[in-house]
Amino acid sequence: MAHVSDFLAPAELQKISNLQVVARLVVEGFFSGLHKSPHKGFSVEFAQHRQYVQGDEIRRLDWKVFGKTDRFYIREFDEETNLRATLLLDLSGSMDYAGDGHPSKQQYATRLAAALAYLMLQQRDSVGLVTFDSMVRRFIPQRSGVGHLRALMDELHSAKPGGETALASVFRELVPRIHRRGLLIILSDCFGEVKDLVTALAQFRHARHEILLFQILDRDELTFPFKRWTKFDSLEVADQFRLIEPAQFRAAYLDNLKKFQHELVAGCRRHRIDLVPMVTDQPYADALATYLTKRLSRG
Amino acid sequence: MTFLNAILLGGLAAAALPVLIHLFNKDRFRVVRWGAMHLINAAFEKNQRRLNLEHLLLLLVRCAIPAVLALCMARPVLTGAARLLGDDKVSLVLLLDNSYSMASGAGAAANFTSAREAATKIIEGAGRGSDFSVLLMAGGPRPLIEDTGFDGARLIKELAKLDAGFGKSQVGESLEAAAAQVARMQQQNREIVVVTDFQKVSWGDDQAAGRSRAIEQLTALPLPPRLSLLNIGAPGRDNVAVESLDFSRLILGTGQALNVRATVRNFGERDYPELRVYFRVDGRERSAAQIQLAAGEQRQVLFTTAFDTAGSHFIEVHADADALKADNALAASIPVWNEIPVLLVNGDPSAEPLKGETDFLEVALQPFGQARAELADLIKTRVITTAEMGAASLAQRRVVVLANVRQLTDVQLAALRDFVRDGGGLLIFPGSRASTDWHNLVFAGRQGEPGLLPLQLVSLGGSPDENAPRARIVAEHYAHPALELFNDPRNGSLADAEIKLWYKLRLPREPDPNLTVLAKLSSGDPFLVERRMGEGRVMLCATACDADWGNLPVKPFYLPLMQRLVTYLASTVFPPRNVEVGKTLAAFFPKSEAGRVAVFTDPSGLRHDVALTAKGSRAVAEFTGARQPGLYVMNGPDGSTVHFVASTSREESDLKPLTPAERESVAKTMGATLVNSLKEYQERDHGRRFGREVWKPLLWALLALLLGELVLQQWFAARR
Repeated sequence: MAHVSDFLAPAELQKISNLQVVARLVVEGFFSGLHKSPHKGFSVEFAQHRQYVQGDEIRRLDWKVFGKTDRFYIREFDEETNLRATLLLDLSGSMDYAGDGHPSKQQYATRLAAALAYLMLQQRDSVGLVTFDSMVRRFIPQRSGVGHLRALMDELHSAKPGGETALASVFRELVPRIHRRGLLIILSDCFGEVKDLVTALAQFRHARHEILLFQILDRDELTFPFKRWTKFDSLEVADQFRLIEPAQFRAAYLDNLKKFQHELVAGCRRHRIDLVPMVTDQPYADALATYLTKRLSRG
Repeated sequence: MTFLNAILLGGLAAAALPVLIHLFNKDRFRVVRWGAMHLINAAFEKNQRRLNLEHLLLLLVRCAIPAVLALCMARPVLTGAARLLGDDKVSLVLLLDNSYSMASGAGAAANFTSAREAATKIIEGAGRGSDFSVLLMAGGPRPLIEDTGFDGARLIKELAKLDAGFGKSQVGESLEAAAAQVARMQQQNREIVVVTDFQKVSWGDDQAAGRSRAIEQLTALPLPPRLSLLNIGAPGRDNVAVESLDFSRLILGTGQALNVRATVRNFGERDYPELRVYFRVDGRERSAAQIQLAAGEQRQVLFTTAFDTAGSHFIEVHADADALKADNALAASIPVWNEIPVLLVNGDPSAEPLKGETDFLEVALQPFGQARAELADLIKTRVITTAEMGAASLAQRRVVVLANVRQLTDVQLAALRDFVRDGGGLLIFPGSRASTDWHNLVFAGRQGEPGLLPLQLVSLGGSPDENAPRARIVAEHYAHPALELFNDPRNGSLADAEIKLWYKLRLPREPDPNLTVLAKLSSGDPFLVERRMGEGRVMLCATACDADWGNLPVKPFYLPLMQRLVTYLASTVFPPRNVEVGKTLAAFFPKSEAGRVAVFTDPSGLRHDVALTAKGSRAVAEFTGARQPGLYVMNGPDGSTVHFVASTSREESDLKPLTPAERESVAKTMGATLVNSLKEYQERDHGRRFGREVWKPLLWALLALLLGELVLQQWFAARR
C-alpha cells in the first residue's frame, strides 16, 4: 500500500518553498503511516488511574474502565520531560552541491532541519538552531512552543550556503555556548579534516551532549559518475579547480572516499556519536525515523 | 628510403589526430561546482605522475598508429647505397651457357629458350644508362656482339635469333673473359650473371681449378663485380650419343680397308630395344646396324669401308634416337693417302748392302718396293745424307728419320724445328756416330729452351762384347697406339730382340706431360720415348736402327714396328680436320696463293668466302665460324677440297646436373649468389638496386600497435 511518505520524496518537496508546509507534510506524512493521529499519546506519558473527583475534566474519564467496572476513573499522565535539542546546520560552500534533479545538500539539510524542528516543537521539546560555515552565522537558543517555530523557519528559509568548511573550529566555539546538555543534531556533509572534527565532537560529548550526526551527501559524491573531461570548481575556495578526465580518477576518488568514511565512522563510534549517512535522494522520513528511535531511547 | 606511393605520405599528418582529439576533448569539458575537492585533490596528487606517463605512452601509441598506417600505404622501399648515390646503372656481363645440353629440357621449352628469355628479362630490367655484354660460353667464350655498349635493344634482338650452341661450356675461360670484359665497362656498379643449367661436366670438381683462377682475376679487379649464378630449367634425362669413332688404321691409303668402330652410349633412363645406327661415307649411306641399347648402356658397332681415291673423305655414324640431335651423329674427316713421303737422313752411309745406317729401315718401310712386288707401298722413302738435309728436302715430307746423325747445322736444325712444329713427325735413332755433346747441348735444347731431342743422352749402356749380357725390350701391355699392335702375340714380341748397346736417357726430375715413355729396356732404361712439340711429335729410340747395336732389325717385329712408328708420326694431320665446334678451321696453301679466296661451305649449305693470308712460309685459310656440328667443306683456290668435321664434346652428352647441394657449394666457393629462378634473381636484383619494400613489416608493426594500444588501455584501466 502506498504510503504518504512515499510521495514526500525530496525532489517533490523541493517545489514547495514554504518550509513550514514542508515540515508539516513531512511530519504528518511520516506519522500517518505509524498512527491514525499524530496528536495521541505522544505529548504525555500514561502514569496511573485515579478515582474521579468532582471538578475533573469529563474528557479525561476512562470510559473503558467505566464500561468494565461501572466506576469513574480518571487517567493521569506524567508530563514528559522536555527535550532540549539544537540543530546545527552546515552552510559551508560544499553543501551547495546538487546532483541532477536533486535538491542541494543544503536544501535537503534545511528541509530536514525544518521537519525535525516542527516535529520536536510539536512534542513540546525545546529546539535551538545554529547555522554556520567557517564560523557561526546564527545562533538561536533553545525554546519550545509553536511560536518558536516561526523564528526557526524564517532563519532556515533565509539560510544560504557559502564560505569554507571549518567544522572543528565552529564546534569548539559552540561548546561553551550550549551549556545545558541536550541533543545536538548536526546536519553536515562532514567534509574536512576528520580527526579535528571528531576531536571537536568529542568536546560536545564531554559536555554530556547527545549527538545525532546526519551526514548528508549527494549520490554523485558517492559514485563519482562523471565521464568526459570535467572542470571541478571548488564551491568553497574561489579559483580552486581541477580539470581532469574523471574516469581515470574514479577508483582513486572512491578509495579516498571510503577511507574518509571509514575514519569518520570509527571516530563516531569511539565517542558514541550516532552517525546517520543520508543521501539527498533519500526520503526525509528515514531521517525522522532515525531521530525518533534516538528520542525514544532517551526514555 | 623511397616511397612508391609518396602522395600517401600526407597521411602522416594523421599522427596529429590523437593530439587534436585530446586537445579538443580537453577544451570541451563540462564544469561542475564541486564540494568534495579534498577527495579529488588527494586522488590527483597520488596518481597524476603515473597517469601522465600512461597518457603519454597511450598518446604516442595512438599517434604512431595512423603514422605507421600512412607509411605502410605509401609503400616505403629501403634502398642501398647505390640508390642513395642516385645511381642504379650497372655494367652487366651476361654469361650465357649455350652448350648443347641446354637444347634439352624437361618441360615444353628447351632450357636454352628459358635461358634466352631470362637473359632478355635481365637486360630489360637493368637500370637506364646501364651497359651490357653477352658472352656465349659454348666452345669457349665468344661475345654475342663484338662491341660492348648501351644498346640493350640490339642485344635483345640478337638474343632472339640465338640458338643453343654445340660446344662444351667453358666456365673458367668464360669467367676470365667476363673479368676482362667487365674491367673495360663503364659503370661502377658491376655484375656478372651466369645463366646455366649446371651440367656436371662443365661445373664438376675437375673444373674447379679453372673456376678459382677466374675468381682470383675477378676479385683482383679494382671494382670487383657481383657474381650471380642463375640456374635455368631442368635437364632432360633422355640422350643417346655416338660417343667416339675408333679407326683400325692410323693412316689410310687408297684401297686399304678401314674398320670404323663406333661407340654408342645411352646416357638416359629409357631403353632403346631397336636402335638403328647408320654408316655414311662421303655423304652416302653405306650400311646400317640395329642394336639394343638399355639405359646407361654402351655398345660398339663396327663398320668397314675403303676409299678408291686419295684425298679428303669423310664418314658419319648416325644413331636414330632422341631429340637432342647434336650428339646423335659423329662424323670424321678421313684423309686418304696415295703415299706417305718419309725422309731418311743417313748419318752413317755405306756402300755395302745392309751396312748403311738406314738400309734395314728402308726395307722395313717399303718392303714391297724392295721386293719388287706388285703391291704398292704406302710409305715412300727417300734417303739423304746429313749434309743434303735442308728446308727443301723437308718440304712435302710427313716424317723425317735421323739415323745415327752426328750433328746438324743450325740452319738444318731450324728447318727441322719448323717442320716438327707444323705437324711433322721426327724419329731419332742415335748411334755410334752421334755427338753426345751436340745432342745434349744443342739438340736437346739451349739455355732452357726445349729442343727437339726428347731426352738427353747420358752415356752408353751395355757392352759390345759378344759375351756381355744383353738388354731386352720389356714385354708389357702397351697403351700407346704405335705399339698397341704388339699386345697381340701374333704380331711378334718386342722382347725377342737383344740390345747390346744403348744410350741411357736422362729422364726429367719433374714429370713432363708432353713426354711419354713407350717402352723400356730390361735394364730399366727407356727404350722408346715420345715428346710432343708444337703440332708435331718426336720419337727417340735409345738404340740404333741397324744391326750394329743389337739384333733388332733382323727380328720379325722390326718391320711392323717401324711401319707403326712412321705411320703414327705421319698420322698427325695439321691443321686438324676433326675439331670441336667453335674451333678455327684452317688449311695451308703455298705462299703464292695468299690473297686468293677459299670457300667454306657449312653444314647448312651456306658458303663463306675466306681470303688466304700469308703466315710464315705459306698461305693460310682460316674459318672461325664453325659454330654448329657437322661437315664443313673447303674448296681451295687451287681446286683442292678438304673436309672438316666439327663435333660437339661428348662430355656434354651426359646431361646429369649438379645436385642442389653441389650447386650451393660451387656458388659458395666462388663467392657467388645462387638463384634458382629468374623471379628470384629479379627479386634480389630489385632489392639490391631499388631496395626492399617494407610494407609487410610495417603492417605487422601496425597490428602490434593496435593490439598494444588495446592491451595498454585495458591494463591502465585495470590499474586505476
